[in-house]
Amino acid sequence: MENLAATSPAGVLLDLSGVLILLLAFACLGSKLFNRYVAYYGAQSVVLSFAAAVAAWTFDSIELWILAVLTLAVKGIGIPLATRRLLERRLELNRDTALSTGLSTSLIAGGALTAFAYLVTRPQLLPHGLVAAAVVPLSTAVILLGALAMVVRRHTVAQLIGWLIVENGVFLGAITLVATFPFIVEAGIFLDVAAGVLIMLVFVSGLTRELAQASAGELRGLRG
Amino acid sequence: MIALAILVVAGPLAGLVAALAGARARLAGIAGAAGAAISLIAAIVLLARQVHRPPLQAGGGFLYVDTLSGFFLLTVSGVTLLAAVGSIAYLSAEEDAGAFSRFQVRLYFVFFGLFASLMLASLETGNLGLLFVLIEASTLASAALVGLEGKARSLEAAWKYVIISSLGVTIALAGTLYLFYAASTLHLTSSQRLTWPYLFAHAALLAPAPLRLAFMLAVVGYGTKVGLAPMHTWLPDAHAEAPSPASAMLSAALLNTGMYAIIRFLAIAQARLGATFPRTVLLAFGFASVVIGVLFMVRKGNFKRLFAYSSVEHMGIIAIALGFGGVLGLYGALLHTINHAVAKAVLFLGSGDVALRYGTREAAGVRGLLTAVPVTGGAVLLGSMAVLGSPPFGLFLSELTIVRAGFAQVSPVLPLLLLALLAVAFIAFARTTTGMVTGPPPPTVPDPDPYPRRSARVAAMAPLIIGLAALLVLGLWIPAGLNTVILHSVAVIS
Repeated sequence: MENLAATSPAGVLLDLSGVLILLLAFACLGSKLFNRYVAYYGAQSVVLSFAAAVAAWTFDSIELWILAVLTLAVKGIGIPLATRRLLERRLELNRDTALSTGLSTSLIAGGALTAFAYLVTRPQLLPHGLVAAAVVPLSTAVILLGALAMVVRRHTVAQLIGWLIVENGVFLGAITLVATFPFIVEAGIFLDVAAGVLIMLVFVSGLTRELAQASAGELRGLRG
Repeated sequence: MIALAILVVAGPLAGLVAALAGARARLAGIAGAAGAAISLIAAIVLLARQVHRPPLQAGGGFLYVDTLSGFFLLTVSGVTLLAAVGSIAYLSAEEDAGAFSRFQVRLYFVFFGLFASLMLASLETGNLGLLFVLIEASTLASAALVGLEGKARSLEAAWKYVIISSLGVTIALAGTLYLFYAASTLHLTSSQRLTWPYLFAHAALLAPAPLRLAFMLAVVGYGTKVGLAPMHTWLPDAHAEAPSPASAMLSAALLNTGMYAIIRFLAIAQARLGATFPRTVLLAFGFASVVIGVLFMVRKGNFKRLFAYSSVEHMGIIAIALGFGGVLGLYGALLHTINHAVAKAVLFLGSGDVALRYGTREAAGVRGLLTAVPVTGGAVLLGSMAVLGSPPFGLFLSELTIVRAGFAQVSPVLPLLLLALLAVAFIAFARTTTGMVTGPPPPTVPDPDPYPRRSARVAAMAPLIIGLAALLVLGLWIPAGLNTVILHSVAVIS
């Protein structure tokens, strides 16, 4: 259980991955091009699968290896490809114009949320005996940044990417519980995310057919 | 016992199998209703056997049924049966009128079966991670039902529903992670220990700071599914745009499943943090929901939206009851859950019949229901009375219990405020529904008889009458068995 403490090589790698994942969430928040959103999300998922592989190697667990491979295949490759296809073939979009705040404002807000995440989950507040306690505030920050991206972006595809970033944040947090999180649950979460993306993409393309642009700013039929 | 638990979950899948085999609306509907009936009977037998025994556990806590789960299984499977019978009528009418293609009908029954089955499964697991997985999966299945009509409005509602609820439930998963962080001093190694009964039994050893975060995140996250304000924004849209039997399922089954998850977290939080913090959180969200629900009920317009805001209000009342706490508060919360579920199922199924006949979901377009369609009109009138808490229906009794709990547990200000809000709700809601029910019907009701066969007509009316009868019984007298079950459920979590 001590193998993932920040002093061991594996622990350092895990912390580094966490930092990279946070930076990629910031990159996504600071970008305006749909292709970049998808690319940053894909890169984030690849780093996440690397983090899972580090944990798998440390604990020598087959199930974690499976999860690492699944993460790479589904989140790192599958979802970005499917989203990009939809964006290029169906929606013909590249520049996101449906932002409700400027980029700098959302980056500053993101910085504030990261600070807040450290305030509430700094390692001193967490119980001792937790492996890789440094990852907890990082994952909390990624969750908050993803939620922020959903708030400031009004296009449906951008909101979908925001949700996926939130989900990556939760998954990063779950890696610190590797030894205790049952495989069935992790696999189930995976299945949910994959099915969720599928059904959301169906709705997005349906909305694009019905409305000119599937921006949530245009979703004004239902009020009150 | 385990076979019974599986039967409860598998029952609703009968409609899915029939639809996949290519059955049309009538046959798939009958198969679904038969499956739901089996599921309800299995739930009753399971509950009756379980109530005097220790909880049923298997598979390292993945399967866990105690009396509280049994009570919610009874509620959800009962609602599923009512909605499944209503589906026979609604779907065969829509198929006959050409409003739904055969493909849409098939999709409906496939996702209806999945939705019901996943909700029932989520009530039967003790593993909090699996609880998230199943609740999120049921969100996805029901999102397909909301977007079934494929028009811009229904797709918009479905998108709002799926994105807000998925984010909400993911936040609840983050809460679950914090609960496990809080438990890391327990040296959790096997999956057995991530189960609710283990965590509840060892609550005294949990770390308080992460547990506080965990409870807040769980209330916000699962509260999104419950429709607690301010996370309720998906709810009126989804309820208004879904086919009516699916709206009944959303309001009467799905919201309760979310509340069940909150109750599980509440029990652990109360055991470690004491009563004050969790109760304050629930009272705040509860009153916010009642206020928002009541305010939006004042608006006239789509009657399904009206019923949906009434669901926000009632979920708020249940949260308030949990916040008042004590045996009386918890008893009132559970009694109100089952009463509200039956009443809302009746109202939404009735609204489906009205929408089919009048061809509109706007309250302004509906007049003289009592004269034109006496059974539906009567059901809408009595159902509204019931939902507003007038005697002699069950909700009167449960709201009275909740107010009494408030007077016993906290200052008299809060229960008095609740009573005042309920009075406003009464006026706002009845203003719209009495207009729909009374007066002369419009000269031409577009479709006086939308049902292709007599059997469909019976299937449309039966759940309304059965539901109202159940509400009346629950208002006059609580059966001894139900009383025992609720008391045992309260004992499970306190």
